Formats: sequence, structure tokens, C-alpha cells
Amino acid sequence: MCLHSVIVPMQLIKLNLQPDTKGSYVEVLERFVNLGPIVDFCVVDLERQGQGQVVTCSGAYKDGSLRVVRNGIGINEQASVELQGIKGMWSLRSSTDDPFDTFLVVSFISETRILAMNLEDELEETEIEGFNSQVQTLFCHDAVYNQLVQVTSSSVRLVSSISRELRNEWHAPSGYSVNVATANATQVLLATGGGHLVYLEIGDGTLTEVKHAQLEYEISCLDINPIGENSNYSHLAAVGMWTDISVRIFSLPELNLITKEQLGGEIIPRSVLLCSFEGTSYLLCALGDGHLLNFQVNMSNGELTDRKKVSLGTQPITLRTFSSKNTTHVFASSDRPTVIYSSNKKLLYSNVNLKEVGHMCPFNSAAFPDSLAIAKEGELTIGTIDDIQKLHIRTIPLGEHARRICHQEQSRTFAICCLKNQSSADESEMHFIRLLDDQTLECISTYPLDTFEYGCSILSCSFSDDTNVYYCVGTAYVLPEENEPTKGRILVFIVEDGKLQLIAEKETKGAVYSLNAFNGKLLAAINQKIQLYKWMLREDGSREIQTECGHHGHILALYVKTRGDFIVVGDLMKSISLLIYKHEEGAIEERARDYNANWMSAVEILDDDTYLGAENNFNLFTVRKNSEGATDEERGRLEVIGEYHLGEFVNRFRHGSLVMRLPDSEVGQIQTVIFGTVNGAIGVIASLPHDQYVFLEKLQSNLRKVIKGVGGLSHEQWRSFNNEKRTAEAKNFLDGDLIESFLDLSRGKMEEVSKGMGVSVEELSKRVEELTRLH
Amino acid sequence: MWKDIGDREMGKIRPNSFSSRIKSNRISNLQLSNNKDIVSPHRGSINSLQVDLTEGRYLLSGASDASAAVFDIQRATNYEGDGLIAKHKCLFSVDKQHQKGHKYAISSAIWYPVDTGLFVTGSYDHHIKVWDTNTTQVVMNFKMPGKVYRTAMSTLATSHMLIAAGTEDVQVRLCDISSGAFAHTLSGHRDGVMTVEWSTSSEWVLITGGCDGAIRFWDIRRAGCFLVLDQSQSQLGQRPPVLARSAANKVSVSKSLSAGQNLLVKSRVPQKKYANGHGMKQSTIARMPSKGSARQRLHPGMLSIQDRATAHYGAVTGLKVTDDGMYLLSAGSDSRIKLWDLESGYNTLVNFGKVRLQASKAIQLAVSQDSAQVFVPCMAVVKAFDVWSGKMSLTFRGHYESVNCCWFSSQDQELYTGGNDRQILVWSPSKTITDDTNGRQAKDEDSWSD
Repeated sequence: MCLHSVIVPMQLIKLNLQPDTKGSYVEVLERFVNLGPIVDFCVVDLERQGQGQVVTCSGAYKDGSLRVVRNGIGINEQASVELQGIKGMWSLRSSTDDPFDTFLVVSFISETRILAMNLEDELEETEIEGFNSQVQTLFCHDAVYNQLVQVTSSSVRLVSSISRELRNEWHAPSGYSVNVATANATQVLLATGGGHLVYLEIGDGTLTEVKHAQLEYEISCLDINPIGENSNYSHLAAVGMWTDISVRIFSLPELNLITKEQLGGEIIPRSVLLCSFEGTSYLLCALGDGHLLNFQVNMSNGELTDRKKVSLGTQPITLRTFSSKNTTHVFASSDRPTVIYSSNKKLLYSNVNLKEVGHMCPFNSAAFPDSLAIAKEGELTIGTIDDIQKLHIRTIPLGEHARRICHQEQSRTFAICCLKNQSSADESEMHFIRLLDDQTLECISTYPLDTFEYGCSILSCSFSDDTNVYYCVGTAYVLPEENEPTKGRILVFIVEDGKLQLIAEKETKGAVYSLNAFNGKLLAAINQKIQLYKWMLREDGSREIQTECGHHGHILALYVKTRGDFIVVGDLMKSISLLIYKHEEGAIEERARDYNANWMSAVEILDDDTYLGAENNFNLFTVRKNSEGATDEERGRLEVIGEYHLGEFVNRFRHGSLVMRLPDSEVGQIQTVIFGTVNGAIGVIASLPHDQYVFLEKLQSNLRKVIKGVGGLSHEQWRSFNNEKRTAEAKNFLDGDLIESFLDLSRGKMEEVSKGMGVSVEELSKRVEELTRLH
Repeated sequence: MWKDIGDREMGKIRPNSFSSRIKSNRISNLQLSNNKDIVSPHRGSINSLQVDLTEGRYLLSGASDASAAVFDIQRATNYEGDGLIAKHKCLFSVDKQHQKGHKYAISSAIWYPVDTGLFVTGSYDHHIKVWDTNTTQVVMNFKMPGKVYRTAMSTLATSHMLIAAGTEDVQVRLCDISSGAFAHTLSGHRDGVMTVEWSTSSEWVLITGGCDGAIRFWDIRRAGCFLVLDQSQSQLGQRPPVLARSAANKVSVSKSLSAGQNLLVKSRVPQKKYANGHGMKQSTIARMPSKGSARQRLHPGMLSIQDRATAHYGAVTGLKVTDDGMYLLSAGSDSRIKLWDLESGYNTLVNFGKVRLQASKAIQLAVSQDSAQVFVPCMAVVKAFDVWSGKMSLTFRGHYESVNCCWFSSQDQELYTGGNDRQILVWSPSKTITDDTNGRQAKDEDSWSD
């Protein structure tokens, strides 16, 4: 039912036999950022794109920091202009030798506009006289001899980039119009209606029709991106076809058919691209339904091998190459824009943190070096792209130890509970509530707590009959002579003009371990008690917190989560119990409990009936409410349905996701929970639908046979639930890391697994790739 | 606790040391529970208490009025005092009215170790009965030759389902649940057998303590007993101190070891010397039928039958093996508590101070899960001693009359005690005072204690 994957920070070291110049035998080969210990974190969507980011409280004492962990590749917007209905974009240089792009050709349904950088480094509209700007442009490209090529539905125009005048023009035969076209510096390939394929070559002021071929069906897409030794001339052309749904490779200039690959299915290819990553040539072929096929291309004979299929989005994809840091990558524009890159000879897909991109072209101008022009949702944006990698971690050093964090959408702030060790000899610590701006992460307001007062929980919530949003902070007075705090406070703050204003406070008889918003009220876990407070308006208009009701019967109610009228409590040592708030009686009662003796470290509610817990022996487990039980005894028992050994001590669960969610895709329906651990690992637990679980479970057991653990350790044994009392095989949990390692297997091993499963390698890869999209 | 939670969160202490620290802290704070009350239905002294071993949820009690009762100690039947005092009434009880119930006092009531579907009661009416928990019907009945003092089942057993029974009779009987017949009789004691206890390291080893003052070890696969504890053989400290003994002694020790080697835990602690160099009586200690041809003719079991060594002066009234199976605690009518090293079979001479123990009845001892504390009923109070130093750490005053039995629930760190005053008391770690936020009236739990 669930699946997890862990990103473990580390340092790769090498032990040398000989000491280096400093006398050290240890050589650090690679450093990774360590997030540990993650004491608390929150999932926020700062850019409001539907893309979660994790902000963790990491490190300890003076090395404490906040870390912003973001998945996917970000675009740092440099300039943007509102432009509706963009149908295509190309960048052009003012001369063949110019290292920078000057023009940005933007094509619309019935016109073409040309933008250029002016002297003030502003983008302004300009004209290239030789271009036909009254019609839609199908393709543009720089050509040799300081020329530019524009393909429209009726003609191919060759224009001088210096004088900007038309030098030559090739007209489509009357009765035919050009449907699709592509070009490189010396070649043009276009297709007209009726399946005619025309190949032109560009000379100095000349356009020569070299070859013409008639295919049996209409042509849907073309590409002649040069990937051979000559960067201006391609020997291969890729052509996607209507009707028989195939992609074909032709030789140039002969236009001889070399390979024909049926794509299968009924979705036509919408974009093909020949490209080369790390010395390997690939043919990428994007379909109209958001799937992408990739093949390896044999450059000498044009053969296509190693077919793989992944799903990137749900809308048609347009493929374009771009370079960043001298490496070529492919940008797939669709409803879920993706960057395709290669690492260790494996194609990787990293999502771009943008909602929907119609078109993209690289635009490397002097003012905006290494930038991309992106057409999305009625605007044209120019921006730079992040490093091409999956996770981006930003560190905000605090110089003090943050213990709790929470985000408030309305005031656009974070509030943290933190402590500062006095540098002097006496050990007294000072505790603060700090307010941080969520964009700059700078401290904008501070509320110091009393001496010996610790901040132990924080929450942003609103109350019934009050429109304001408040920060609630739970504290404990930790007196040196006391073993256990017997006094604490609940403080309610409002953010006004970027300042924390204390509105109300309430003394408690113990440490406030947890705070939750609950039916417009405030639910606090105070030592062994669950206490509900209501928000009351006094006669003088001020507000106060009043005790409503409570529930006893825990050893220490450390972790509390709520949903509707239900309260899930993770006890210090008595596993999970489920409480319910009865409105009529105004009382909290116990509904059910897990009678196992699990020492809890975190809980979360997965859905109405299923709750997730992490315990002291590095295990995860799920329990289910049994509302249909026949007896009171059965109904009063939370049934353990899943068990798994994580091997990490989980400090916090939060709902959310590090990836952009598409509401209409299958993967978008899957609920995920993020966890943070003492060792600094962040992982994702996804609730999978049953049929997918069954499929992946089978895949996992097949993979166990093929993938042998380091030292021959058994994966099954490692993932078995294990505590002092018993060991039980993992159930209803899958190891996502193991399943995803399928993609790293050699072809032979993949086939072995595929044989065991009775499912094709391609289908398996696709299902596993889909899974990788969850995180 | 507060600080430990913060440290665990930051990874400053390991989760397992966190839990053991909190557990021992809680044990040192045990006191009469102010929030958990067991409503005893018994009209006679409570002789036996046990919480089931599978879930740690159901408490089984046996009493002198021939009744046995089961309580749910995790889920209260009702609450009093503003939801603060959880009352645990019995889920069911069986007594004389039951058509197949016992006629006289139940001296021992134990759970079937594998699940809570069965429990076993032994009574002064000479019967041992096996009950189906769900139907509360007797499913098996063993007629014993005399009053049953104590019954025990091995918690480790995977290949047998034997109830060991100590009775008035000199013979210890093993009742087989799977066949309904007596599997063995173990002869060696010279008087009734007050207490029986299975080893916690081998499913074949049974330890019995008799009214003759002897503690005998039996391997139920072999005839006769293989070890008789002798109070005059002693070593100082937990483990034998560093060695200066004669070679001969070494041999005999190693022989006695080999006798029990598949029975007793073999300590990985290296053999160290015995400080006061007590000699071993060559012939008395059990011996494997080794290559020695002369000894071969003597049945090894018969050898120890001749052994009249005693562990206590007077009757042995209570036995408890530590959880690791390495040590045995015994209590006798001589008001002594002794700690025995099971590897060597020696009395460790730990001084548990001056206590007064009940002499006439078997008592049920309890140890905490890490075997750091032993809980001993000492007349009307229960005392907790440090196992290794013998120092008394806590005294539990609450019962009006003599306490017969105690049971420690390691899952909740709670102690249950039952006595002649017909009460079952719960001793739990003290709760911090935070509860009374609602300004509830202070309740006086202690009104009936002391």
C-alpha cells in the first residue's frame, strides 16, 4: 500500500594506503549536504505553483539552520511580457559568427513578430524585412553565410542576416501548402499535404531542391538536428507519420527509408528529435497524449534499439534542445514541462517548476546569457534555468537551534521556535519565537520566552467566529529541579505589520507537546492529557482561550493529528489511539486503540480510516479503524495492516509532495506523506491503489531475486518489522528504492525480471518511471 | 523524560537507550496507582496473578474462594472521578457455582503462553483444570494425587505443551495438554513441591522448589534431575571472580557444565576464578555419562536423587528465573531470598537484608524486564530489591494482610499484587500532577491503604 524512497546525505570518502601531503589517509571524493537531524519541517508552496518545498529545521545549536529542499528544476524569471496565442518561437543570430542570439521570432496564428534586444537591453519589436510577417511561421533557423531561413506554409525564404533582405525563396507547388518543416544551418526538410517530403539545401544565396519523396501517409513531424560529426549537416532525418503511427528514419540527401518503427497505439507522434547525450545518439519521439518514446540510434546504419516509453504529462509534447553549462539537454514543453538529461548513460527526467509550457526556445543574448524563452499561459518569459539536477537545497544559517517551524500563508511568514546557547560559561539557554519572511527568510520579529521556558510546539490556525489567522505556540517551563515540566503556556500571536503581537495566553499544567487546529478550536497535548480549548470573546472585545474538555489515559501524548472530529494520538509507549470529539456532550472519548506496545516517534493520518505511525525501533506501521467490527472489542481495536522496517528514526510526518501535481493524471491521485528523520533523510510514503500495489509487490519480489544486496544481506530480512518482542515480515509496504533500481539494471537482468513478471521490459520501465514521478 | 525526548529527537541518545532509561525511571517511581483500579470479585485471598504474555492485556487471578477471574488491564470498564480513575471490572470469573469449577482454593492460575484462548488453574481440590477462555468451559481436567500448589508452562516451548505441577505429593507431574495424560513424573523431592518454574533459556528445563528445602533442575528429556542447588556452595558477585582453583575442580565444573549445556545458557563471560575457592563435591553434582566407565553404570539421575543438598532451611516458597535465563531467585520459609548463578549452580551470596516472608504458602515473585529489580511479597508489604546488590529500593505498602503474589507487566511498567485481603492492587509510575486542570476535587486513593 505504501512506498518509500529516501534521499540520504553523505560524504563519499576514499581510504588511501599512502598519506597525502597533510598526512591524512582519508580523501573526500564527494560531499553531499547533510540535513540531519531534521527535528521538524513543513511543506510549503512558496511560488504558488502547486509544487511543494520542504523547509527543515536542521543542525543543532549554533550550527542550526533552515534548509529549503526543492525538487525539480526552477526557472529564475528575468523578464516577461504578456503575449497571447504563441504558436512557435525561435531565436536567431545577427550573423553566423555571433556567439549571442539577437532576434526572437515569435509566431502567431496569422502573423509573425520579431523581437530583438535594443541598446538599453530591452526587448522590443523589430522587423526583418525579408521575412514574411503576415503569416504564421512554421520554422526558423540560422543558416550558413550569414543567412536566416524562414519557412511558412507557402514558401521557404532565405534572408541575409546583415542586410535583412530576401535573398532567395522556394515556393511550394501550387495546391500544396507546407504543413511541417525543420531546418539546420545547411538543410531544410519540409512536408506538404499528401505526404510529400521535400529536401532543400542552403547555399550562399541559393536554395536547391535536392530531393523529393512521396510517402503513403501524411507527415506529422520532422527533425534533422545534426548529431553526427558535422554540426551543420545531418545524414539522418526523422519523420513521424499519421495513419500508421510510425516513426521513420531517412538518409539524407537521398531520402531513402532506413528504418521504420511502429509506435503502437492510436496516438500520433507530435514531435521527434534527434539528439546526442554523453556520446550516445537518441531519437526522442513525443506522442499527443504526453508519452515519450526514446530509442538509441545507430549512427552508421540508422537502426533504432532500446525502445523505452515514459509518461511525461497528458498533453502533446514539443521537444527542443538547449544547453546549460556546455551540456545539451532537451526541454519537453507540455502541461508538465520536463528536462531530459543524461547521467551515467541513463536518461533522466526532471520536472521543471512551471505549470504549463507551450513552447520553449533557448535565447542566449548578451543581456540574458544562457537564458530560455518560454511561452506559457499567455505570457512570454525569459529566464535562466537552475542546475540540471533533481534536488536543490538552500541553507539559511540561523546561528541558533530551530526546533519547530510552521508556515502561515496569509501573512507569508514562517514562525520558528528556537533556542540560543549563551556563549558564556553558564549554561542558560534563551528561547525565542521568531517570525521570518517566507521569501527572504530573514527574521522580521522576535518574541523572547521567559527564562527556563521552552517552545515545544507551534501552529498557524484560525478559530471559529474569527477571521484572523493566528500563530499558537505551546511552551514548557523546564525548571532545573524538576524532572518533568509541570507548567507551560499556550501563547496566541497575530502578525501585524510584520510584527508578532501577543493576543492571548493560557497557563497549562505541563509541557504542550503538540498543538492542532480542531473544529475552529485549539487542541493541545499537555503531558498525558489531551485538552480542547475554545476561543472566546470577552465583554471588552478582547479574546481569551478557555478550557472546554479533555481526555486522560495516556502515558505521554507526544504526537497528535486531527481530521474532522477524530483525533489520533501517538503515545510515548502505547502506540496509536483514536479519540473522537462528541459535539453534543462536548467531550472527547476514546474510540479505538492499538494494543501493541510501540514507542512512538511520529504519527500521521493517511485517510479517514488508516493511520501511519513510526516507532522507536526504526519501524513504520499502519493501523486501520475497524468501524464494521461485530463486537465492541473489535471496534475498539485498531487493526495493524502494514509493517515495515525503515531503518531511520522518523521525527515528523507531513502531508505534501515535492513534485508538481497534475490533477488529471493517474499519479496525481496518489496521496503522499513526507517524512524527515534524525539522520537527515527525507522520504516519501505514497498510498498506492490496490491493483498497482499488487503489481509492484510482484515486481519487488522478482527484483529481490535479481538484485543482490551488499554482502549478500537479504532485503526481505532488512525490511522486516523488528522490535524487542518480535520480528515480522514487512507487509503492505513496498520499498520504492528497490523498485526504482529496476531502471538501473542491465538489459539482461531487466529481461530476467520481465520474464518472471510476464510483462514486457518496456511496460515495466514505464510503470517504474511513473513511480519515480512521485518524488 | 522531557529532556530525553528532546535528545532523542536530535539524535543525541539512541532510541533503545531512550526507552530503557525511561523504563527504569518509571520503575523507580512505582507507587499505588491513582488512576487504575481493579475491582476484585474474589471473596478469598488472591493466590496467583498473571498478565498474558502475548498482548500484555489480560490479567488472570486465582483466589482461595475457588474463583478465577480475567481483567482487561488496558481498557477500563468504566471511569470514575471525572474520567481520571479507570475501573477495571473482571471480564468474567469462574467459581464454585460453575458446574465444573474447583471446589477448594485455586492456588495457581496461569495463561496458556501461546495465546489467551486457554488458561490453567490448579487447586487444593487436587485438580488441575484447563479452561477455554471464550466459552469459560473446562476442556481438560487432571486429577492430581494431592493439593496443587503451583502450575507452570514454558514460555519458550515449541515442541511440547506440558503443565508442570507441584503438589503435596513428592513427585512433580507433567500434564500434557495435547494428550490429556500425565507425560512424566519427576521423582527426587522428599516432601511436597511448593513451586515450579520453567527455564527461560531452554524449553526442556524445569526448576522445582520443595518443602524439603531443595531446588532441583530437571531436563524433562532425561531421567532424574541433573542439578540440586546447595546453599553452602557459593561464589561472590554476579560472575565467578578471577580464578585460582585446582585443576581438578575445573574438570568437575566443566563436567557439570556439559551436563547442562544444552539446558542452561552458556555464558559468554569467560570463566573467572572463585574467590573463596569452595571445592566442588565431586560425586554430588550431576554428571554426564562420560567416557569414565566406572561411572557409566550409575544412572546419572539416580546420583542426584541421593543428593540431599538444600537451598533453603525449610521450604522453598518462591522461584523466579531472570529473563535472560542466567540467574535464579529463590525465596524460602527461612525468610531468605537467594540469587543463584545458573551457570555454576552457586549461591551468589547477595544479601537481600532482613525480610520476613510468608512461610506457609507459596509466594509469587516478579522481576522487572531487565532483571534489575525483584519484587518480593514480604508479609503485608511488597519490597523491590536490586537484584545484584540486594539493596531494597522500594517498599509498596497498601495491602492490609499478607501479599501472596505479584506480577510485573514490563509493557506498561506496572506491578500487580494480590493478597489475603482479597484485593488486587496496581502500582504504576507516578503521574505528574498535570491532570487537575479542571479543578477536580482531590481524590484520596490511599483511604483504604495502610
